[in-house]
This record gives sequence, C-alpha cells and structure tokens, in this order.
Amino acid sequence: MPVTDIDVVRLAAGYGLLLIPLGIFLWHRVPLIGTTLVSIVRMTVQLLFIGFYLQILFDLNNIWLNIMWLAVMIAVADASILRGCDLNFRIFAIPVFVALLLGILLPVFIFLTVILYPAPALDARFLVPIFGMVLGNSLRAVIVGLQHFYDALRRREKEYFFFLSAGAGRQEALMPFLKETLQVSMAPTLANMATMGLVALPGMMTGVMIGGISPAAAIKYQIAIMIAILSGTSLAATLAVYFSLRKSLTPWGSLNRSVFTRLNQ
Amino acid sequence: MDSSPILEIRDLDGMAGNICLFRKLHLTLDPGEKCTLSGASGSGKSTLLKMIMGFLPVPADTIFITGEELTAKSCWRLRKCVACVSQEPEIGKGKVCDILAAPFQYRSNRSLSFELKEAQQLFECFLLPADTLQKDMEVLSGGEKQRVALTAALLLKRKLLLLDEVAAALDARSKEAVRAYLASLKNTAILSVSHDVGDFLLSSRLEWMEDLQKGGGNARD
Repeated sequence: MPVTDIDVVRLAAGYGLLLIPLGIFLWHRVPLIGTTLVSIVRMTVQLLFIGFYLQILFDLNNIWLNIMWLAVMIAVADASILRGCDLNFRIFAIPVFVALLLGILLPVFIFLTVILYPAPALDARFLVPIFGMVLGNSLRAVIVGLQHFYDALRRREKEYFFFLSAGAGRQEALMPFLKETLQVSMAPTLANMATMGLVALPGMMTGVMIGGISPAAAIKYQIAIMIAILSGTSLAATLAVYFSLRKSLTPWGSLNRSVFTRLNQ
Repeated sequence: MDSSPILEIRDLDGMAGNICLFRKLHLTLDPGEKCTLSGASGSGKSTLLKMIMGFLPVPADTIFITGEELTAKSCWRLRKCVACVSQEPEIGKGKVCDILAAPFQYRSNRSLSFELKEAQQLFECFLLPADTLQKDMEVLSGGEKQRVALTAALLLKRKLLLLDEVAAALDARSKEAVRAYLASLKNTAILSVSHDVGDFLLSSRLEWMEDLQKGGGNARD
C-alpha cells in the first residue's frame, strides 16, 4: 500500500493553523510572537534541508557518508547539551561527544543487527533515523544528568569532602552523587515508558502505521525502539559523567571550578 | 612511640583566588598534641584546614603528615591518618546510623569495623539522645549535626583530628562535654580552629594565625 504524499499546496494551507497560537499570543499580549515566527521558520528550513539531505544520503547509501552524518548529529547534540547545562565547552566537548558516540551506537547497533535482522543494518534508511531517534531521546537525560551531578558536587562540596576525609577513594566518594544523578536523569524516560500507548501514540509506531504496516507489527517496532532508547539513554548519561571526570576533578580529588561557565559561577 | 611530628607545615602560603590569606606559615604538631588555632575572620583558618586535607592544591615541600610530604598522589593515602569536622558539617543524607556506618565500607577502612556500641557511647558523652541514631539527618538541629559529624570522625580513629569551629553551634553544656571528651583523647592529635578563643579553648597550647607567619609563634621551629 503506497503512502499518500502530502500535496505541497495543501501543506501550505496547513500553515493557516498557526493563526491559532499567534492569535492567542496576540490577544494576551504574550511576547512570544517573534520567537514563534523564528521557531516556525527554523523548523521549516531545517526539515527542508534534512528531507533533501536524507534523500541524497539514502540514494547514495555510502557507509562513510552515513558515518560522517552520524558524527555531525552527535556534534550538534553535544553542543546543545553543553549549552543546556552551562558547562565549560572546553572541558566537556570531547568527553560528551565520546559518551554519546558509544552510548548511542551500542544499542542502535544491537537494534539493527539483532532485532531488525535480516534488514541491511548499515543502510542509511535504517541507520540514520534509528540513530537519530535514540540520540534525540537521550539528550534530555544527558543534560539533566550532567547538570545535576556537577551542581550537587558544587553545592554539597562539604558532603563530598567528608566522604574523602573518611577515607573514600574517588569512586567511593562520588557514588552517592552518581546514584542520585542516575535517578534524576532516568526518571522522565521511565515515566514515558510506563505510560506508553495510553497517553499518546508514540512516534515510531505512528510512522510505520502511516507507512502501511498493521498496528500489531507496528508495536514491535515501538517496543524495540523503546528498549534501545532506554539503554542508550542510561549508557550515554552515565558515560558522559564518567568521561568528564578526568578533566573536571583535580588530581587532589576536588572539583575544578572551571567546569562551570563564567555566568554560572 | 613515633617521634616525628604528626603534622608539620613549613613556609606555606594560603591563597583564596588571587588574594593572599597567609604567608610563610609554620606549624608543628606532635602525636597526641592538642592545639587551638585562632585568628581573625578571613585570616585563612578554614583554608589552612582544607589544605591539610588536600582539598586545595598544596605547594611542594610545605605540608608533611606523619613525616610524609602531602602531594596530589600521597593525599589519598595520607587522608587515612586524618579526620576532619567542618563548620556546619554535611555528612550525607539518610538515617544517622547508616551515615556513620558508610565509611566502614570503603576499601581503605577495611581493617576497621563499625561498632554501634561505640557510636552509642560517643553520643552519650556528647549528650545526644540515644534515639538520634535512628533519626534522619535532615531533622537534626545544627548542634546535633555537629556532634554526629564529630562522632563520625572519631569512629574512624585517626591520629590527627582537624576541627573547624566545632563548638560554634553547641550549647554551653554540650560544648563542655565535647571539650572534656576531646581533651581526654591520649593518642589523637587535634588541631582545632576557632575565631573566638574564649569560646572553645581545647588545651593550653594556643596559636594565632598572625604569629605563625612571623615564625615567632612556634617556639620549637
């Protein structure tokens, strides 16, 4: 069953719906008009570009090109994470990049080679969207995790110092903070999983159903992607903290103050 | 008994950012010796304690604990000779007895074991009700937290105890109880920092931050 393509003219007419939010803002004098317009334009331009670019990526289906594109996605994610948690770019950029790379790639690789078998795993058509979904869904957890961990370490330095003075090694002294960080950063993903299907129909499932696959088959995709997202999220959030420790702690074990951006100090 | 000083500080400069708090500080503490260190607010007393713990970077050849130089490498080992109670201490979240027991799970404390009885005895000495052990850290008052933190430090049986304004949050009676107990510890050297000497003088040896820097305050230097 072929998927109905949306007619460009009809989509353009769909933009008319945007009069609703704009009207509401105007009526209440909410200063969001400019932001809304910028967001609409950005969304449109970025998606146009991606649509165009992915088409080329799918057509060429070159493994190196795919890998390069994954690297670009990670780099953009990396930058937006660090902007999101006011941490020093110079200290965190590389550790977070590597954490995302390993943390996302591992579950995606399992997803593509084991679960989706015998589909050609490294085909751009599978690799790029699945990687993007897992990466996109893990961003928030990584932001919350890094933010919480370094905030807690700074605010509760006395507690950390007490653990060290009581003879804890670095890992032992950090353990209570790591434990808390994982609890905080994983909570939204777990809550989302627990209400899956009840509150909103998930994107992956909706997508494959519109593509003509039966709901019974679609939920299998959804289950698989949720598993990949949960494992990717936990792995990326944990690795991001661990990989950043080497530069964020001094050899004496204390927190390097330059981990925070100046604004946040 | 080991004759080398438990703590020796030579020519130590204390900085907070770019501001110099103290310069060329000298201090020696023998095993079992008790010393009260005083000085004006902002004279770097707490900074000095943090440096002795290695929580702030320490220049080479300035601090020696049990005769060994304190460096980024040795600090992990030397911290096991020292315990520290900070001002308005925070020692973790949860039930008091769990917090007291936690350090005994650290690899470096494997030779020690947590004795609930000991904690109870210390609580009694410090006039803390016995049921404090079962309470959550969050519900304790500042003075109670202070004494729990002191108990946590004492349970580890370190050779050197660093106290930062440890009596500040205590009422007169518990202050007296804590002082009497600390003074009775034969084998524990104590460096107690207090800006108000009349408030908490632990022993006859009293040093001033200002004097230690001139080199005249420390007679044995």
